[in-house]
Amino acid sequence: MNRFTSRLSKSLASKVIVSTVLLSLGVVWLTGSALYSQLSDGVKQVNLESSLAEARSSFFNAQYQFLLSERADVPAITKAVQDVIISSTEVSLSQDRKSIYLNRFGAPFRFSLKVESPDYSTSTDGLDVSTVPEDLRERVRSSDLVEYQYAQVSYQDREDSNVLIAGRKIEIPKSGNYEMYLVYSLNNQNRTLSIIKNALLLTGFALIFLIGLITWLVVRQVVRPVREAATIAKKFTEGDFSQRMNVDSSDEIATLGTSFNEMALSLESQITRLENLSRVQQRFVSDVSHELRTPLTTLRMASEVIYGKKEDFDPTIARSAELLIAQLDRFERLLEDLLEVSRFDAEVAVLEPVEFDLITLIERCIEDVRANAEDHLISISIDHETEQVMIKADIRRVERIMRNLLSNALDHAEDKPISVTVVATRTEVAVGVRDYGTGIEPSALSRVFDRFWRADPSRARVRGGTGLGLSIALEDARLHNGELDAWGLPGQGAHFVLTLPRIAGEQIGGRPIRPQPQDYPQNI
Amino acid sequence: MTLVMVVDDDQDLAEMLGIVLTGAGIDVDLVSRGDEVLEVFRNNPPDLVLLDVMLPGLDGIEVCKLIRAESMVPIVMLSAKGDTNDIVKGLEAGADDYMVKPFRHPSELIARIRTRLRRTNADVLGLLTIGDLSIDVTAHEVSRGGKKIALTRLEFDLLVALAKEPGRVFTRDALLGEVWGYRHSTDTRLVNVHVQRLRSKVEHDPERPEIVMTVRGVGYKAGVMGGS
Repeated sequence: MNRFTSRLSKSLASKVIVSTVLLSLGVVWLTGSALYSQLSDGVKQVNLESSLAEARSSFFNAQYQFLLSERADVPAITKAVQDVIISSTEVSLSQDRKSIYLNRFGAPFRFSLKVESPDYSTSTDGLDVSTVPEDLRERVRSSDLVEYQYAQVSYQDREDSNVLIAGRKIEIPKSGNYEMYLVYSLNNQNRTLSIIKNALLLTGFALIFLIGLITWLVVRQVVRPVREAATIAKKFTEGDFSQRMNVDSSDEIATLGTSFNEMALSLESQITRLENLSRVQQRFVSDVSHELRTPLTTLRMASEVIYGKKEDFDPTIARSAELLIAQLDRFERLLEDLLEVSRFDAEVAVLEPVEFDLITLIERCIEDVRANAEDHLISISIDHETEQVMIKADIRRVERIMRNLLSNALDHAEDKPISVTVVATRTEVAVGVRDYGTGIEPSALSRVFDRFWRADPSRARVRGGTGLGLSIALEDARLHNGELDAWGLPGQGAHFVLTLPRIAGEQIGGRPIRPQPQDYPQNI
Repeated sequence: MTLVMVVDDDQDLAEMLGIVLTGAGIDVDLVSRGDEVLEVFRNNPPDLVLLDVMLPGLDGIEVCKLIRAESMVPIVMLSAKGDTNDIVKGLEAGADDYMVKPFRHPSELIARIRTRLRRTNADVLGLLTIGDLSIDVTAHEVSRGGKKIALTRLEFDLLVALAKEPGRVFTRDALLGEVWGYRHSTDTRLVNVHVQRLRSKVEHDPERPEIVMTVRGVGYKAGVMGGS
């Protein structure tokens, strides 16, 4: 049933067909039953009239016979009674069986004291006379007219049956007053009625079936283009923009098809335009990359050659060479970061996941940034529950995130120690980088990932960061379907938490490390 | 004296590379067009080719394939694109190593070149076997059943690195250090591509390797069959 309802709710055709069939079922049932009741009334009426007419003539004949034999002797009267019984129970071709019932009532005529008057009470055809309704008998006894009634009577040798009973008071000479009943079986009439009923039912069902079929054919005409449109729309969502609807008429369906095709065309051209834009952008990024890097390489090598000979130069020239190299470094980092950002903007950044041990990677990153931070003498500790945390991610990007987080922490640590925590669950892994340095204004938390944003514009950049590091780190994290959260309070340091799915691209279910550090506020 | 062929269309960079390499005591042959490389290469075979990817005349990757078709000389690609595709394409075309412009330090470039020119397994001598291969380290020859198999220097070094310590599982990082001379690098594509290339030359069925075995999730090791 559920399947049926769900199918019904899914298919317009089924819905239309089912409702049409149900409605026509109602209409056919109403007209059919009206027709049947009229027909059966008519049949019954005709039957009744012919039966009564026949009964009247039988009664008249009986009365006439008895009237003629009024003066006859008893055997002649007996013969007349027998004749009447025989002639009354004669069955015509159109009739079914017929029985007669004679019953004397009231006191018998006494024409002689010695001779008992004969009683002709009888019934034919095994009729169980007790089943003749009493009220009909009352009416017959008290009336001089033909009385009739429909009833159900029993027979000795066959089943009960519905009958029409016509009765009249008859006087038999030298015997007494009799009730005479003619019992007409209605079997024929019932058979006719059931034939009519079956014919009506059959016609009704055939009609409903045909209506259903016609509806199905008509609905199919309407639904087919709708289905076609749906199929094509589905293909569109799958990226196949070449599909069009067939338009081969000029009705409303054709209008639907034409509008649909126009929409498809416009969508296709829009998408192609956007794709081209993206391709142009990607191309541009690649070209800029190439065009800038080659001269930068030459510059770097030239500056290194000069720097390598700085002892031979005047101190100002030597210092200039140093500055040149430092600025080239910075320029190069900026170029790299800008290119990466533009790749994210053009959505051409691709993930290249490999399986690796996150702990090893973090330890290596710490080693590297520590090498650059020797003058700061900042300690970086790492805390992890397991020896190894294998994840599947883009190792280059994860390394970049870690370097960015660590150098950001070093930048703001103010010579206080930095701690790194790694927590892994079955589905995700989190890395928290906590420093106890300058911290972040709560109002600025939402902006720390903005490009080129500085916590304190008046503060000099110690390490010459590009201002894009955290922004890129966030994009890198999100490319993995991961997240990067920040927490901070002025003077109490900051906590950056990277959450990544164990397998890049899957969803993260929660935050194994909360941005609000566990050591806060106890450790103020 | 060592001769390095520098193929780059940027005149200034090529000249600068020349200055740096000459300063390190390396002779330099400068070529600026891709379609001129093969002629110069045949006339004056260098010890190493430094090859830019983007070249006029003929693409660097095509040039790499052409050189590889006739020589096992070490090739180091120079790529201005950090693009993965270019790097992998270059490695698949037969390059041994690559450097992405701009290089951190000229000394880094020289170090790479030296690594490629040096015999990385100078400490190993004599005959090694790995599977049904026999490796004559001294003669720099690999053969199977008396039939020689031509390998590039790098492929040879990779094979020797695995064969000299049979049974040891080398992580990709370890191989990068051992064969390419990187102190640390996260680019394991170098290893993957070269293992594939090596397998295509030495394995009976590269799909089911018996010489260079993969240890899932860790790295590679030498095949054990008669290897130890």
